[in-house]
Amino acid sequence: MNVIESRGLSKSYGTTKALDDCTLAIPEGHVVALVGPNGAGKSTLLSLAVGLAAPSAGALTVLDSEAPGSPAALDGIAFVAQDTPLYKNLSAADMLHVTRNLNRRFDQASAEARLAEIGIPLKRKAGKLSGGQQAQLALTLALARRPQLLVLDEPVAMLDPIARHDFMATVLTAAVDEGVSVLLSSHVLAELERVADYLVVLSRGRVQVAGEVDDLLAGHRVLTGPVAQVATLAHWPVVHVRHGEVLAHVLARVTADDGVPQGWESHPVGLEELALAYLREPDAAALPGPVRSQDAGARR
Amino acid sequence: MTALPTLTVPLHEKADANLRPLPWRRMAWVTWRQHRIALIGVVAALAAIGAYTWMVGLQIHHNYAVEFACHPAGSDSCLQLTSGFNSAGGFLTNGWILQMVPALIGAFVGAPILAREMETGTFRYAWTQGFGRWRWTLAKLVGLAVAVSAAAGGISVLFSWYYQPYFGADNQTRNLAEMPSLAPSLFDLRGVAFGAWTLAAFAIGALAGAMIRKVVPAIVATLVAYAGLAIATGVWLRGHYVAPLVTRSLNVPNSVWIVTQNWMTKSGQTASQSVLYQVLQGAPTQVDGKEGGGPNLHALVAWQYLVRHGYTEVTRYQPGNRFWEFQWIEGGWLLALSIVLIAATVRLVRRRAV
Amino acid sequence: MVIGQEGKGRKGGPSTSSGEVTTSNSPIEFRLDPASGVPTYLQLVQQVEHALRLGYLKPGDQLPKVRDVVASLAINPNTVSKAYRELETKGLIIGRPGQGTFILATLSPVVLPELDGLRRSLHNWLAKADGVGLDESGIMALVASELRDFYERHRESRDGAAGDDTESVA
Repeated sequence: MNVIESRGLSKSYGTTKALDDCTLAIPEGHVVALVGPNGAGKSTLLSLAVGLAAPSAGALTVLDSEAPGSPAALDGIAFVAQDTPLYKNLSAADMLHVTRNLNRRFDQASAEARLAEIGIPLKRKAGKLSGGQQAQLALTLALARRPQLLVLDEPVAMLDPIARHDFMATVLTAAVDEGVSVLLSSHVLAELERVADYLVVLSRGRVQVAGEVDDLLAGHRVLTGPVAQVATLAHWPVVHVRHGEVLAHVLARVTADDGVPQGWESHPVGLEELALAYLREPDAAALPGPVRSQDAGARR
Repeated sequence: MTALPTLTVPLHEKADANLRPLPWRRMAWVTWRQHRIALIGVVAALAAIGAYTWMVGLQIHHNYAVEFACHPAGSDSCLQLTSGFNSAGGFLTNGWILQMVPALIGAFVGAPILAREMETGTFRYAWTQGFGRWRWTLAKLVGLAVAVSAAAGGISVLFSWYYQPYFGADNQTRNLAEMPSLAPSLFDLRGVAFGAWTLAAFAIGALAGAMIRKVVPAIVATLVAYAGLAIATGVWLRGHYVAPLVTRSLNVPNSVWIVTQNWMTKSGQTASQSVLYQVLQGAPTQVDGKEGGGPNLHALVAWQYLVRHGYTEVTRYQPGNRFWEFQWIEGGWLLALSIVLIAATVRLVRRRAV
Repeated sequence: MVIGQEGKGRKGGPSTSSGEVTTSNSPIEFRLDPASGVPTYLQLVQQVEHALRLGYLKPGDQLPKVRDVVASLAINPNTVSKAYRELETKGLIIGRPGQGTFILATLSPVVLPELDGLRRSLHNWLAKADGVGLDESGIMALVASELRDFYERHRESRDGAAGDDTESVA
């Protein structure tokens, strides 16, 4: 099942095109990183997926074939927006109560245990908690709903390193324990390699990269060699070239087995380097082939 | 492929295509917890107003009863009681304070419901929960609407009691202050009107909050819109719920609400103030040797002079016995308006892309 | 595919909840070096092999549960699974359903005399390199490049013998 599937998805706000012809098929059971510079359209895509906004054009389904915002989609998707909105005047216990009332499933016991473990007093008002504690509270509420998909919009942007680590540890443990699929957006690339196993790169509203991290990393290499010979690589699937006067690094879509021209070295690529290279080349794209569940003819 | 221990995580069964919606009563606690300060504030304010109304009202009722029991009617001591009753201020002279209550309730309870969620961003939490955004909105609006309307309706019973002495049938003959029960400053404090106006103000506030999305501007817009509607109703609309009665008599009782009162010429056209003034230049300033006399006497002389010269005073009025008929009409269209506004708010929430 | 571990023990929570962090009943604890340039899963593999060599792990010892590694390091569960799969492929560990992951075999210890011999020849080589004018980083670069080539050739011959073992990452 694909947790998020879109075809030609576009979203415009007035004359601004926030998303442009996005086609995605994000499988379940992954921790998906949605990266891109500010204004690339990450928040817009997430808003569409959780039903807060409607597409201007194209199709979007979630949780296999549900319409975003439908009762089944609302039931199965938990969303933590940027700045983790909570009702500031309500206590943590009140927030648990409200969330329990508003949802079909709610694991009150595990939520309370989790809050006790992190040290969030149930009686304290949400507005009086620290930034990290607010994020953990919002996450606890989301996970207690036992969703199939957890969507996080820049969840750790405002958190200090310890809070950030604890937050991600909670998210990833939930992925293991309960099989929750996770979609999180971030404009900080450095830590994603540890956390994500599926990557989507958005730039200026368009999908540039979409695929399993292992496949992407296995499918790209950095070739290092003399600048003068870069032209000889013209027929290679080159993504991005960085060079000095004499030495050049060429990021190409080749594997370790593809061999290397004479006088060149081949190195593996890291996730951050890969994403940055694509972000610097707006016309480049690394997208999976067109094999998706619906193309097999089994579409509902 | 691998012998590592695997937990076959029970991926949630495919959700029912037709999930039964969550029961409405779940929103009761949520609405209370989120808006209890506003609700408590309304109850406290109404209680304070009620206490004052009760205290002053007791005084007024006492004065009224005492005056009625006073014999002989024309004596000095009884006349003192009469003026005592007539001069008590309280809400008669300051009824405009009470006129503001529905507007304030509507603005401060209704407007923030959606405006605060949009302004603080908490709608991103509320509208992604399983309950669903339009049902969440409808539950809150209906719940709070009923609560504030009931509270307002309750206290208007007290207001009715307070003003009751001013509607006595014998007041005019006993020179006691009398107000027409349809008077604009009093009509919408009594009967079903007060509750209905509160409901309408609330509905206006809710829609304003949904459209404007910021709390303070929404409150201001609600107050302005309500004021416009209330003034328009009092000045133009209410007078014509039922066709006004017409009289050409100069003796119009105090119990009727005068909608229009004009002097007409012989040919049936309205005489302007300047024309009337010119005609009155020829009127005598003395009657029976007495210069001027009481203010009413002088006016009566002027009127009779105009009548002798062919002018007619035409009064269109609503009699006091139409009070309840008008109450139901006004309550009815306010209720209909409120329903339309709340439905529009829910529809706006349902369709809005954020 | 995300592979979960049985037993939702509350041990191994985030480090802020207690002074000590214990990871199940395993003798070892993993750490990450984000600046090393080595892929995460490979770091875990190397740490297990290193622990085996130094005697911290013996056959029969239990490795940390996937869930606990995820909780303490905040890394993707697939990464841990991949590391454990690699170790299993090398025949070093075995997974027992319902119980956990256990050390199966030990790495053939490098006997002390062999170690001395290697050390001496390395010293001679280093003296020669230094004499030619190679500095420390030059030596490291040369060693790294040769090491890489050596293992590539080594892997090719091993793959050629055993058949290409492509793992599909579900």
